[in-house]
Amino acid sequence: MTRSRGKAGHLSGYAFAGPFLLLYATILVYPLLLGIWLSFQRADLFGARTWVGFDNYARLLTDPTFHQSVLNTFVLALLIVPPLTVIALLLALALNRATRTAAVFRGIFFSSSVLSVTIVTLIWRFILTPDAGLVAEISQVLGREPLPFLSHPDLTIPSLAITTIWWSLGFPIMLFLAGLQQVPPDIYEAAALDRSSRWSTFWRITLPSLRRTLVLVIMLQTAAQLQLFGQAQLLTAGGPSGASRTMVLFIYEVVFGRWDLGYGAAAAEILFLLVLGITLAQYWAITRREAER
Amino acid sequence: MSAAVSRNRLPIAATAGLLLGAAIMVTPLVWTLLLSFKSNAELMRDSATAFSAPYTLENYRSILVGSSVSRWLLNSLIVSLGTTAGVLILCSLAGYAFARLDFPFRRTLFVFVLLGLAVPEQAVILPRHQFFALLGLHNSYPGLILPGLVAPFGVFFMTQYFRAIPRDLDEAAMLDGASRFTLFWKVLLPLTIPAQATLGVFTFLGSWNDYWWPLISATTSDRFTLTVGLASAQMNYAQTSGLGFLMAQAVFASIPILIVYIIFQKQIVRAMAGTAVR
Amino acid sequence: MLSLELDRIRKAYGDTLVLDDVSLGMDAREFIAFLGPSGSGKSTLLRIIAGLETADSGEVRLDGQRIDHLHPGDRNVAMVFQHYALYPHMTVRENMAFGLRNARVPKGEIDERIAQAAKVLEIEDQLDKKPGQMSGGQRQRVAIGRAIVKQPRLFLLDEPLSNLDAALRTRTRVELAQLRQRVDAGVIMVTHDQAEAMTLADRIVIMNDRRIQQIGAPMEIYTRPANAFVAGFVGSPAMTLVKAALEPGEGPFARVRLGDGAQVETRVSRAGLPVDGPLRLGLRPESVRPAAAGTGTTEAEVLLVERLGDRTLVYARLANGEEVTAQDEGNSRIRMGDRIGLAVDGKAAHLFDADGTGHHAEAAA
Repeated sequence: MTRSRGKAGHLSGYAFAGPFLLLYATILVYPLLLGIWLSFQRADLFGARTWVGFDNYARLLTDPTFHQSVLNTFVLALLIVPPLTVIALLLALALNRATRTAAVFRGIFFSSSVLSVTIVTLIWRFILTPDAGLVAEISQVLGREPLPFLSHPDLTIPSLAITTIWWSLGFPIMLFLAGLQQVPPDIYEAAALDRSSRWSTFWRITLPSLRRTLVLVIMLQTAAQLQLFGQAQLLTAGGPSGASRTMVLFIYEVVFGRWDLGYGAAAAEILFLLVLGITLAQYWAITRREAER
Repeated sequence: MSAAVSRNRLPIAATAGLLLGAAIMVTPLVWTLLLSFKSNAELMRDSATAFSAPYTLENYRSILVGSSVSRWLLNSLIVSLGTTAGVLILCSLAGYAFARLDFPFRRTLFVFVLLGLAVPEQAVILPRHQFFALLGLHNSYPGLILPGLVAPFGVFFMTQYFRAIPRDLDEAAMLDGASRFTLFWKVLLPLTIPAQATLGVFTFLGSWNDYWWPLISATTSDRFTLTVGLASAQMNYAQTSGLGFLMAQAVFASIPILIVYIIFQKQIVRAMAGTAVR
Repeated sequence: MLSLELDRIRKAYGDTLVLDDVSLGMDAREFIAFLGPSGSGKSTLLRIIAGLETADSGEVRLDGQRIDHLHPGDRNVAMVFQHYALYPHMTVRENMAFGLRNARVPKGEIDERIAQAAKVLEIEDQLDKKPGQMSGGQRQRVAIGRAIVKQPRLFLLDEPLSNLDAALRTRTRVELAQLRQRVDAGVIMVTHDQAEAMTLADRIVIMNDRRIQQIGAPMEIYTRPANAFVAGFVGSPAMTLVKAALEPGEGPFARVRLGDGAQVETRVSRAGLPVDGPLRLGLRPESVRPAAAGTGTTEAEVLLVERLGDRTLVYARLANGEEVTAQDEGNSRIRMGDRIGLAVDGKAAHLFDADGTGHHAEAAA
């Protein structure tokens, strides 16, 4: 009898977890494996497949368009992640108060995060556009020539970075605020009794206490920005002549523009490994340093 | 916001920075809002007129009458609500199983699911597109909803939440003669409502704003979600013609999400706190 | 008539045996306390009776029927959990009704039973509150109420008073005692608090080290502890145990020599004792009285004096280094460091042989 009860437990376990596991296997695991397999194929959208081994990867290594997109992706990540982190941290420090005003400001800084990429780019397209945009209007008032933000090769990437920072601020601010809430208040009281200045309180107490949050923000943002897609596709279409094409946009164009599925799959696997590798490297570097302290 | 909040005043430089930042955040939004109330003809002449009257509701009227935007809004609602409901059901069931039931390979399967957290979208999206084409799922609601249902984080989140509920309650319910399903449905599930709200809001936000998958899966206008629909509108319009109309669409499309944000602000903040502590 | 019977219950977690062939019989309306240190297996035993754990072997019978294969909900037992385990999202009324609804009790009867239990427990005005809005003592009552409405054959209480503060604990103890008069069922209570067990239980089951050490009425456990563990565990402060050796002699009662050479004449029958081999003499504090130095049974140096008001406990060291606890009047003048005599009341002394088995003075004597 006891044994039969155990058996019922087994069955019900699968009854509860089964639906998710089934979808997980078919919609995530299977495509993941299919993608790896595809990257070794010459394949188009219509089903023609030939095994080509590492050919797609070899082609990527010599494809200047791909090189450019990798470079663009890293430049964008570098232009976005550090300023975003610093600005978010400063704002969180300023907004970590129980006042009503602070609450309003928190709402303001988070508001852009709930917008979709389409709307963000729609707004920023008409802010940055040189003939009628908001920035153009302001430049004219100041008596300056409006800059071609979305069409000059040197300006497209910074424009994308600014748009992205504007869009992404909310989440890191919230994470930092949450981190600040975890700092035990008596540490601050002790510091005040020790006549610690605002500056040294920040460096000696606040920042070390936020260490884990800081790591989390940097890791999440790096991973997210390496996969930047919508902004580049919608604002600049990767242009002019590939100057702002990111890796994901490259993959999208290869697959849905040139129908070269195997090649796109190979590029996707490389991006996957890059994101995974960089995230793990960051994690490793930071935990190792923590262990040394 | 309790004792850890500093009560001293901000230095003037910081206040100035804060105000400048807020202005940068708000100005584009206000400008968008203003443009949406201007007639397209007037904006054609000079977009600077956005800052002065006359304003009109004409653009919003055009959205409601004879544009695809209402249709896209409906699609977005169906997809986002469908995804949210699906995720909540699947993740609650799976979370309960992983937290409470004993079945073969439970630990292995759980780790297997957690590994899914590390898989970024672009590693699966192309082959998934192929796979769905084979199944004939593109340009359909199931095709748009199904990928969103695979939420390893949701399973992890719900599992942790179920684990935090004292086992005493399970035992009390067993002594009260509750079946496994009654225990799940009447005792444990009601206790996870805060987690359901948090997971639900984030799933809804994510699904509403998703761009990549609907872009490649929905290729006919009547199956566009708002994000994809507005992207197509954005690309089709010559730069300033219909600027007011375009901005009205942006505002219109953001209203549902802003409502969700305002209602569930608490859950959002609490969820962030949870993420940061981990 | 026997109500609950445990027959050779054995339970192991992996390689660790936690219950080793435990057997027990219980009368229909008896109140039994499982008393023992943590890790003694008493909670596991309770959970096996409830059906929350499955024994590896052995049988559990209630009113002659085997219940060990039944679902916990079908066993006709109710449990009050240590942390109450009230359903936080349900009102008090819903908490009490939940089990009855699962058992498909008609609605009218559910209402009636709840009303009755609420009246007995004086929580009638709390029925629509949720547990989170109540104090610890009130929650305790609800937990008891949830058990009562089921009208079970057996109540299982897991450390029911341990979460209450001292004042409330005493009051609830009285209430529990009154309550058991009203219910037509047996009660088993797990506790590590001997005062609780002594005041509430008809019989106490002392558990230690996977086994039942002794089953008996509270005074029997106190006056005739079955072995050295029970002797040391029950009673506060604990019984003093000092090394002793049997003196050869003729009389019916054992005469023993302590480590410091002093001799004590006990009323323990010589017949049952091993002829040689080490013994231990067990002395409750109230059977050792301080006396002027040079008088009494032996001499000792006072280590610590604990004044409790109505009496004074004197912790003293014998010449051979062993420690003895004695009891003096409330207004005792003894101080730390004093050299005193100790008068041992041999009639109340206990003897424990090498394997710990207790030997006591003849009951009649």
